[in-house]
Amino acid sequence: MEKTNVSVFLRKYTMIIALVLVVIFFSITTEGKILFPQNINNLISQNAYVFVLATGMLLCILTGGNIDLSVGSVVCFAGAVGAMMMDKNVNVVAAVLAMLVIGILIGMWQGFWIAYVKVPPFIATLAGMYAFRGLSNAVLQGMTVSIKSDAFIKVFGGGADCYVPDLFGGEGFNMTCMIAGCIAVVVLVAMQLKSRINNKSRGYETAPLGSTVVKLVVISAVILWISYKLSSHKGIPTALIWILLVLLVYGYLTTKTRIGRYLYAVGGNEKATRLSGINTKKVYFIAYVNMGFLAALAGILTIARLTSSQPTYGQGYEMDAIGACFIGGASAYGGVGSVAGVVIGATLMGVINQGMSIMGMDANYQKVVKGLVLLIAVAFDVLSKREKK
Amino acid sequence: MNKAMEIFRKHTMKIVLVLIVIFFSVMTKGQMFAASSFQALIAQNAYVFILATGMLMCMLTGGNIDLSVGSFVCFIGAIGGHMMVRGGMSVPLAMLLMVGAGVIYGVVEGFLIAYINIPPWIATLAGYLAFRGWGTALLNGATIAPMPDGFSKMFNGSIPDLFGGAGLNITCLLVGVIACVLFVILQLKSRNDKVKKGYEAESMSGVIVRCVLVSAVILLFAFKLAQAGGIPNNLIWVAVIVLIYNFITSKTTIGRYFYTIGGNVEATRLSGIDTKKIFFLAYLNMAVLTVISGWMTMARLSAATPTAGTNYEMDAISACVVGGVSAYGGSGTVFGMVVGATLIGVINLGMSLMGIDANWQKVVKGVVLLAAVVFEIMNNKEKTKD
Repeated sequence: MEKTNVSVFLRKYTMIIALVLVVIFFSITTEGKILFPQNINNLISQNAYVFVLATGMLLCILTGGNIDLSVGSVVCFAGAVGAMMMDKNVNVVAAVLAMLVIGILIGMWQGFWIAYVKVPPFIATLAGMYAFRGLSNAVLQGMTVSIKSDAFIKVFGGGADCYVPDLFGGEGFNMTCMIAGCIAVVVLVAMQLKSRINNKSRGYETAPLGSTVVKLVVISAVILWISYKLSSHKGIPTALIWILLVLLVYGYLTTKTRIGRYLYAVGGNEKATRLSGINTKKVYFIAYVNMGFLAALAGILTIARLTSSQPTYGQGYEMDAIGACFIGGASAYGGVGSVAGVVIGATLMGVINQGMSIMGMDANYQKVVKGLVLLIAVAFDVLSKREKK
Repeated sequence: MNKAMEIFRKHTMKIVLVLIVIFFSVMTKGQMFAASSFQALIAQNAYVFILATGMLMCMLTGGNIDLSVGSFVCFIGAIGGHMMVRGGMSVPLAMLLMVGAGVIYGVVEGFLIAYINIPPWIATLAGYLAFRGWGTALLNGATIAPMPDGFSKMFNGSIPDLFGGAGLNITCLLVGVIACVLFVILQLKSRNDKVKKGYEAESMSGVIVRCVLVSAVILLFAFKLAQAGGIPNNLIWVAVIVLIYNFITSKTTIGRYFYTIGGNVEATRLSGIDTKKIFFLAYLNMAVLTVISGWMTMARLSAATPTAGTNYEMDAISACVVGGVSAYGGSGTVFGMVVGATLIGVINLGMSLMGIDANWQKVVKGVVLLAAVVFEIMNNKEKTKD
C-alpha cells in the first residue's frame, strides 16, 4: 500500500521532479550561476516565445496529437513584415495589428486545408514551414532590419530596459515586484480554498486537506522565491506580463469554456464528438487559427527582445514548443494535456536552454540535447500510458 | 467523354509533368532540352529518387514519414569526411562503416516507432534536430574536402563508351535501345499472361500507345545522355534501386504487407502478420537508403558540409505525394514515385536554370507539396463518389 502511494506520487509529479533535478544539475555545473537573479530574469524574457508557442501548440495537440511545424517560420515571417513596416515608418500600433492579422490569416490558410480538406497536419504545416521561411527571406531580402521604435520594444519586453518600473522606488530592490508576488500567492490560496469549499458543499470528492496545504505551501514558496529573485534584479520582466496573460486566458479557455472542452473531446474520440453534434472541423480550424495568432504574438515578442528581425529567427522554435507540450504531459495522441503542464514543460525547456548557454555549450550540441529531451519525454509518456493499462 | 476523363485522371501527374517541362522549356528558351540539362537532371536529383523510394515504403505503412533524412545525410557526410579525408581510411571500409551507422540509426528509430509506439513524426523530428546539430558539430561548422577520387567516381562519372563513338556515346544509345526492347517484351508478355489466365486485360491499342510513348521517352533520354558523355553512374544506382523496390513492392509477400498495413493495420495484425516488424523494416530501410543518398551528395559536392541535405526530406515527401502515394498510406507505386521525383527534379532544375532566387524556390516547393496532397485527396473523394 505504502509503495503504490509512492509510485502514484512519482508518476503524477515526474516532470516536476525532473524539473527540480535539472535545475539542481545546472546549478552544480554552472556553479550556481543559473540561480543568479539576472539569469532568472533572462530565463523568462528569453524563453517567452516557448510559453506562448507551447500554449498554441497544446490546443493543436489536444485535438489528436496534431502539430504545427510551421510556427518557427511564421514567427520569422510575422516579425519580418512588422519590422519592415516599422522600418518604413508605419505607425507602431498598425504594425502590431498587421502582424497579428498576418498570423491569423496564415492560421486560417493552414486550418482550412487541415480541417476542411483533411490534408494531414504535418504535411500542410511542413509546406508552411518552407514557404514562410522562404517568404521571410524574401521580405527581408536576406538582411537584418533593426527596430528603432522605443515604444514597441518597451511594451513587448525587449532591449536593456525591459522591466516593469518600480512604483515605490526601492533602492536596488523592486518593491512592486515583491508585492505582486505576494498578491499572486494570496489570490492563489483564496481560489484553491474556494474551489475546495465549493466542491465539498456540492458533495464532490476532494483531495485530503493535508495534500492541498502542502501543494499550496510549495507553490507559494516558489512564487515568492521567484519574486524575490526578480526583485533583486530590476523587477518584473515585461515579457512575464505577456506570458501570464496568455497562460491565464488559455488556462481559462481550456478548463472553463465549451470550446475548450470540445478540444479535449475531439482528441479523445473524434467520431463520437462529431456524432454528438459538435462541428469537429470547426474545432480543428480554430486550433490552427489560434496557433497562427499566437505564433504572430511570439514573433512580436521575438523581434522586440532582439530589437531586430533576421531571416534566421524562429528556427527550431517548433521543436521547443512541441517539446514543452510533451514534457508537460500532453499526449502525442491527443485528448490529454493542460496549460499548467505546459508551464512546467516550457520552464524545463527554458532551463535547459539557459543552462546549456551558461555552460557555454556548442549550439550544435544543444540541438542534439533538445532532440533527445523531446524523444525521452514522448517515450516516457507513451510507456507510462502502457503501464496504466 | 467518360473514358477521356478516366485517362486524364489516371495520368494527371504525367500530363502535369509534360506541361511543366514545356513551361520551363519556354521560360528557359529551350535550355531545358540541352543535353547537359538531361545530365544535370539525373546527376543533381539522384538523391530525390533514392530518398523517395525509402519514403514510399514508410508512407505506404500509413502515411508515416521520416523528417530526419536531410539531417542524417549531413551526419553521414560528416563521419564519412572524417574517415576518408581526415583519417585517410580506405574507401570501401569507410563506406561499410557509413552503412553501419545507417543500420544503427535505422534500428534505433525503427525500434522507437514500431515497438515503443512513438509517433513517427516526433521520433524523426528529434532526429532532424539532433543529426543536424551533431553533423555540424563534427564538422566544426566547416567543410571537409575534397573527397577521394575513388569515392567520387563511383557516383559522379559516366560509364565509359565501349565503342569509342566520337561525341556520341554508343554504349548509352545501345542500352537505351535494349531497355526499350525489354520494356515492350515485358509489357506484351504480361498482357499475354493475363489473357491466357482469363484476367481482364487492357486493350491492345492501349498497350501499344504506352509502349510507343515510354520507348520514345527512353530513347530521348538515351540520345541526350549519349551527347552529354554517356550514362551517369548515378543513373545506374537509381535504376538498380528503383527496379529492386519495384520488384519488392509488387511481387513479394513482404511488399504486399506494406500495402495491407497502410490499408488497415488492425485487420493486418489480426490476420497474423507481425505489423510491428513491418514498421521497423520501413524505417531501417529508410536509414540505409539515406546513407546511399548521403554518398551521392558527398560525391557531387566532393565535400562534406554542414548544410548538406537541407530540405531533402521535403523533396522526398513531395516526390511521393506528387507521384500519387497516399498521405494516409496503403496506396502508391514505385513508378508513380519515379514520375513524382522526376517532376520535383524538373522543377528544381528549371528554377535554377531560370535563376530564381533560392527563397522563392522554397516557397514554390512548399506550394507544390500542398497542391499535390490536396489534389490527391480531392481525387480520392471523387473516386469514392463514383
